[in-house]
Amino acid sequence: MREQVPIELAAHLNNAGITPASDTGRGRFNVWRNSLPGEELPLGRPFTAGGVRFAFPAAGPGRPDNVRCEGQLVTVPPGRYDWCCLLAAGERRVEDEVALHFADGSVDFEPVRVSDFWAASAVFGEEEAVATSVMHYPQHVQPGVTAHIWCQRVPVTRRAELRRLRLPHNVALHVFAATLCPSREEVNAG
Amino acid sequence: MTCVRSVTQWYRDPISCLQSTLATLLLEAGHDPLEVLGLSWEFRYHPGDVRPEEYYWPCRRPGDLAGSLLPLHDVTSRWRAIDRADPLGEWRDALAGGRLPVVAVDNYHLPFRPAYHDVHAAHLLVVYDVDETAGTVSVSDAMPPDFAGPLPAEVLLRSCAAAGVDDEQDVFFSGPVTSGGRWLDVRLPATIPALDPGRLGLVLDANAAAFAAPSEQAWTGADGLRRYCAQTDTAATPELLAEAYTFGWGMQAQASLHGELLRALGARWDRPALAEAGRRVEQVAHRWTAVRVTAAHGRDDPAACAGPLRDHLGRLQRAYQEAHTALGRAAADLR
Repeated sequence: MREQVPIELAAHLNNAGITPASDTGRGRFNVWRNSLPGEELPLGRPFTAGGVRFAFPAAGPGRPDNVRCEGQLVTVPPGRYDWCCLLAAGERRVEDEVALHFADGSVDFEPVRVSDFWAASAVFGEEEAVATSVMHYPQHVQPGVTAHIWCQRVPVTRRAELRRLRLPHNVALHVFAATLCPSREEVNAG
Repeated sequence: MTCVRSVTQWYRDPISCLQSTLATLLLEAGHDPLEVLGLSWEFRYHPGDVRPEEYYWPCRRPGDLAGSLLPLHDVTSRWRAIDRADPLGEWRDALAGGRLPVVAVDNYHLPFRPAYHDVHAAHLLVVYDVDETAGTVSVSDAMPPDFAGPLPAEVLLRSCAAAGVDDEQDVFFSGPVTSGGRWLDVRLPATIPALDPGRLGLVLDANAAAFAAPSEQAWTGADGLRRYCAQTDTAATPELLAEAYTFGWGMQAQASLHGELLRALGARWDRPALAEAGRRVEQVAHRWTAVRVTAAHGRDDPAACAGPLRDHLGRLQRAYQEAHTALGRAAADLR
């Protein structure tokens, strides 16, 4: 039986959205330079949310920890999948599209919907992957304002081998990790 | 003199202090905030009018912020200058008369705001109690981290007086053009007719007619939206890009509440077309995210964000059109 397949995002990480309490000033998740508290996150460790296993990114000075979406083209392990699952958060609510590129040359645009990271609830039916107790501001740690990372699914409806995906040209969307869930046919065949 | 001991707060993540403060006033008056704040939906832009305030709204009635936001209800408001000789007197009198004052403040001076002693930003609070013996004023702020409780009167008054300070850390909600030392006196109707399919149908028809009408001085409707998007695209100065973040918040918040209301009513009345129209309106709100955030991050380098911004402005216009098509179907279904 084929396992869930993490997508390697290291080459695409381009944003510092996680900081320690001792160094909140370098956070750049949103236009206010808020960031998520690293002390409350599984940095650099496997992490399960919504029944999906993710490789949570590490974080540190000079080390981006998430992909701020600017149309990056991401190569994935070839295979047939049902879902592309994301650990993601929005700078406000985000609705956009991911382009899925298949081995036979076909391309599908599928919706990606991610709720706000800042003191919000899941409005698109996501699983809450992370809810912190504080929010990092450039000059201080703020209690009473939660930061969220959501586990959201993007459907892969085409029964064909997926090769690449293009993230939206939408800087409001941040992706921390992604994992592909094999199609039911592939699982059964395995 | 103590007038009101507590208030109820109401919040949604797309809204600003403009909607959250009025929601508290509506709840105190026994009204459903979503049914009132979510009923009207329009596009309206007043060139040259956008001020760096979290609560900026393009007012169809000059000086009447609440009445302009809620044009379908018998709501009026006017800004009043704080009386320096008796600064608490007017608030005390308003509370005694059953009205909750909404005060304009600078977050920099408020200990419960994240911007405390860090960033100057124009914001609104609800005053719900004046205790002159204790020297405190109780205020409510539903925006996270929510707060309700007493403040030393001198702290609140310092915050009120300071509104209007320029701060390069917050180009969106601070600036010398915002005026301090004022509060909003809001008059709400005692009763608001219950929404039923017939009344909502008329509202949707009126909203649609306004969207289809040509715009003039104020850029309104589809025509105003087209002009706004063309301006933001072709003359994308850092100032206009920053303005898009500020101005867009009001448009985004109203679309989100209108969409939520229609979805909720569609479910309550088993009107699927209405629920679908509500979802289309919510998509407009979410398209505003891309415009606002792209513009805000791109204001230091307009050329670099020009391509994505043009794309998002186009998609925003298409989202409005799709929403109005769905609203037309919903209105027909309600007749």
